[in-house]
Amino acid sequence: MRENKAVLKVTGLRKCYGDLVAVDHLNLEVMKGEIFGLLGHNGAGKSTTIECILGTKKMDEGKVSLLGMEPHKDRKKLFERVGVQFQQSYYQDKIKVKEICELTASFYSKSQDYKVLLEEFELSDKQKNFVSELSGGERQKLSVLLAVLPNPEIIFLDELTTGLDPKARRDMWKYIENLRSKGVTLFLTSHYMDEVEYLCDRICILKRGSIIVQGTPQDVIKGCEAGSLEDAYLFYTEKEAM
Amino acid sequence: MKSLKILFKTEVILAIRSIDAIFFGVVFPVGLMFLLGFIYKDKPAGDGAAYTMLQLSFAGVAAVGICATGLMGVPISLADYRHKKILKRFQVTPTSPMKLLLAQGFTQFLISVVSSSLVFLAAKLAFGYKLMGSGIKFILVYLLVLITLYSMGMLIASVAPNIKTANLLCTLVYFPMLFLSGATIPYEIMPRGLQIAADVFPLTQGIKLLKGVSLGMPEENFLFQFVLMAMISVICIVISIKCFKWE
Repeated sequence: MRENKAVLKVTGLRKCYGDLVAVDHLNLEVMKGEIFGLLGHNGAGKSTTIECILGTKKMDEGKVSLLGMEPHKDRKKLFERVGVQFQQSYYQDKIKVKEICELTASFYSKSQDYKVLLEEFELSDKQKNFVSELSGGERQKLSVLLAVLPNPEIIFLDELTTGLDPKARRDMWKYIENLRSKGVTLFLTSHYMDEVEYLCDRICILKRGSIIVQGTPQDVIKGCEAGSLEDAYLFYTEKEAM
Repeated sequence: MKSLKILFKTEVILAIRSIDAIFFGVVFPVGLMFLLGFIYKDKPAGDGAAYTMLQLSFAGVAAVGICATGLMGVPISLADYRHKKILKRFQVTPTSPMKLLLAQGFTQFLISVVSSSLVFLAAKLAFGYKLMGSGIKFILVYLLVLITLYSMGMLIASVAPNIKTANLLCTLVYFPMLFLSGATIPYEIMPRGLQIAADVFPLTQGIKLLKGVSLGMPEENFLFQFVLMAMISVICIVISIKCFKWE
């Protein structure tokens, strides 16, 4: 299923907040149909990287090519084909589940039937509830649902399963694998190494805005002779730069 | 176009659900109109005046809706949407965050128009109010005052760094204007000193303009207010566009 075609190409991305360098000359490529995981501690620059890729933050240096387009230039065309779930999604006060689905669907020239998706995500009985009444897990599922609504070719999921219980997490994994089998590319961040090891085809670990290692989860584990991805992750993120 | 329509519909539903916009923008001024009607009945405004106290007060009460939506509704919802990163979420869809702002603006405008229309109907049907000046001119001046107040609201939303400051600024601007500009308490019964202080508020000048037109006074008397409103609008709009931040 996977082809050797880069759907996302980032070169020399650099972003500073005042004196703080949040992302430093980052290069990465994501191939069509793969699940790519961007890892790192809180504050390592994951969200900033995603936001620069999507064009919601202006980068200081570098180039981003997403589905062959430049995000801030071709915004309208590009985001018909890109789904995004931000870390912590907020919605308008007093909006109901059904209303946010309808509203989001109206932004796209074509989108999936949200009722079918609500069924798949086991949220059908919450349609008439206010979003603010949902549990953390339900809200998380809703934000993923809204990201996949336009049938995107690439989906960005920032902290995909945070707040989900073990069963809901497994369901989400299955859903993500199913998307991959349909040829959808996924770019995700996560703090759960079991999830990353299970789902991701390739990963990249960030530390203070720079990539310290990238490759398949197996390569990363082998590279430092660790027993699991969690050990390897800790090895790389705690290793002081010499 | 499809998304703008659904956005507008959703924003109107949300505004109705949130109650405060409806209370401060509609229920309060209509209630006030009834109160003033019962108090004044058909009392003339001063000895031998050509118009009644009710006719004198109408324009001010009709402007309460503009004041509530322009100085509370517009800035607080904008600051809230920015605070909640809803504008940012719109940026990663094919629609534009500008559309959300537009839909929000329409919603506030609708509340304001409904408010003033109900105030008019209450005054007319319950107390026999009659607009002495030209209706068209009144509507045009009403729109000018509305643009001025909304541009001030946009300015507050643009310069406030966060939702807390926006709330504070709105309270500081809204309540003094509501009570001292002649919208609720008639300007004419205020002591001279207070009148001079109240003259500082743009809404005071706006209400003088509305009053003048509603009483059919010669327009050239209100040239100053007219030019002032237009100038405030232009200045506020330019500054808000320059300072506006999406997040």
